Amino acid sequence: MRLDRDTFREILDSLLRNRSRSFLTGFGVFWGVFMLMLLVGGGQGLRQLLEKNFEGFAQNTCIVYPEQTSKAYKGYQKGRWWGMTETDVDRVRAMVPELEIVTPIISRWGQSAVNGENTASASMKGVTPEYAGVETPKIKYGRYINQMDLADEKKVCVIGKRIYEQLFPGGGDPTGQRIAVSGIYYTVVGVDYNEGNMSINGRATEAISVPYTTMRKAYNFGKRINLLCVTAKEGVEMSSVIPRIRSIIQRAHSISPKDNQAVQLINTQLIFGIVDNLFKGINFLIWLIGLGTLLAGAIGVSNIMMVSVRERTVEIGIRRAIGATPKQILGQIMSESVILTVVAGMLGIVVSVGILAVVELAMTQDGILKAAFQVPFNTAVMAALLLAVLGVLAGLMPAVRAMGIKPVDAMRDE
Amino acid sequence: MALIELKDVNKTYQGAQPLHVLKGINLDIEKGEFVSIMGASGSGKSTLLNILGILDNYDTGTYHLDGTLIKDLSEKQAAAYRNRMIGFIFQSFNLISFKTAVENVELPLYYQGMSRHKRRQLAMEYLDKMGLTDWAGHFPNEMSGGQKQRVAIARALITSPRIILADEPTGALDSKTSVEVMNLLTKLNKEDGMTIIVVTHESGVANQADKIIHIRDGVIGQIEENVRHDNWDSALIK
Repeated sequence: MRLDRDTFREILDSLLRNRSRSFLTGFGVFWGVFMLMLLVGGGQGLRQLLEKNFEGFAQNTCIVYPEQTSKAYKGYQKGRWWGMTETDVDRVRAMVPELEIVTPIISRWGQSAVNGENTASASMKGVTPEYAGVETPKIKYGRYINQMDLADEKKVCVIGKRIYEQLFPGGGDPTGQRIAVSGIYYTVVGVDYNEGNMSINGRATEAISVPYTTMRKAYNFGKRINLLCVTAKEGVEMSSVIPRIRSIIQRAHSISPKDNQAVQLINTQLIFGIVDNLFKGINFLIWLIGLGTLLAGAIGVSNIMMVSVRERTVEIGIRRAIGATPKQILGQIMSESVILTVVAGMLGIVVSVGILAVVELAMTQDGILKAAFQVPFNTAVMAALLLAVLGVLAGLMPAVRAMGIKPVDAMRDE
Repeated sequence: MALIELKDVNKTYQGAQPLHVLKGINLDIEKGEFVSIMGASGSGKSTLLNILGILDNYDTGTYHLDGTLIKDLSEKQAAAYRNRMIGFIFQSFNLISFKTAVENVELPLYYQGMSRHKRRQLAMEYLDKMGLTDWAGHFPNEMSGGQKQRVAIARALITSPRIILADEPTGALDSKTSVEVMNLLTKLNKEDGMTIIVVTHESGVANQADKIIHIRDGVIGQIEENVRHDNWDSALIK
């Protein structure tokens, strides 16, 4: 079959001059693609919104914290309160070489921070510079706590986004200014814009981080620590080292080796894994439903083309009688199907992209996009290719039937 | 050699009860003749026309059209022969409803692969011959029966075929337009020397032809020379 402008005109004519038939045929495919793209984009945006909650959080982190014992052991009764100490940090670091970072946190809740007339309620965290590897700060101004701050027990702090907004309502770079937290003055050295909802001992936005050593001294923590945060080295499964961490701490604190409740370990890898699986499932559903709808649309096209071929028996018969070869008829019906599916599908892509763009516009705050809802370009290209293939498949049956129409049928059918 | 030569053509429709429709047809039609084929329904005249028009196959015998043996052709060959050698005129006009008059006329040329511009020009020429220049852009449902049939005739003529096959060309027309259409065909025969074969059961229509072939029960009953065009009644009686 020739594929020149003339053939194209001929096909376009027969599509455009039978508008309602073409519209009905194309609508199924339009709807299928529209839904698929919308679902894919929506799913992706939802995922990004959810992932926002874990922003900046290392995915292979484990947090260790003490709980009441649940078993009597070595003369201790069950239900005993115990605490971790700095020694635990050294123990775990020395005995579990698979770990990258081992760092303690001490914290105090419900502190009030003051800057002149402005006050804010904050949670205070004593951290080490390594902690940045567990919960990566998004430094907007200044820097994070460094080794020097730690060594010199400096009275410096990094403040979260909310604290910054409340204490410095005028905006601007606050570094170098001093704020009071529960009566002690700290120099602000950095602002952390991390907005993740998953954070240790209070949200990052409402946290004031100070050097671990400074806090230990100021509040008489002694050797006590609240939490132990560890991250695994590249390629190490966190769950494979967790039992060892647990037993090291159990042994050091005379806790029964069977008492899993006393030493709590939160494995973020597990949580990330759950979320990941959840979205894998959602994605699978999206594609299943989307492709199903698309397929239904394509079958619809095939069906209506079939009816249309029946309806066009006379027309096709005439064409055959005046010299169209069966191949030309086949080509015509197939081309009609392909063009119809591709055009309708493209329209579906365009409309869904438009709607997703509006959604993105609504999700944009202060010029910053919260989550990308737009479908990736590759997905759109793949969808377009898929449409072409579907068009061919949908046109196949009707075209073969049309090919079987004999020129005599044109005369018989009146 | 005659333009059309049929030798002992047989055709049987296979079915639960095989139907022997054409029982050894022998027929010669010379170039430039105006022939009508008459017969009752079921006589086999439509089948004969289909075979003449390469729309249908026959079982045994031979059919030569302009020296070419038309037998066991592939669909592609048959389509090409139909396109170049035969112009069809149908009872129900068989125009494509979503195409304008001029587009309908140029359709055979489209299948020849002629360029759009050239075939539009040629189609307009033929429409002009039919006196339908002003109707070129109209769709079939905007035209009268006579106009539609003239568009169909233009479409049949546009490929300069060897023969024109008309199947009850006046069957759907009133008597006045029937006469107009038949006069048009006569004129084509007389002035352009076009070979025309008309299948009809109306004696008035058949009378326009120079030769009337009566077909009955699958055989040719009688071939009448009709030079004087006066045998209205004799045709009716037979």
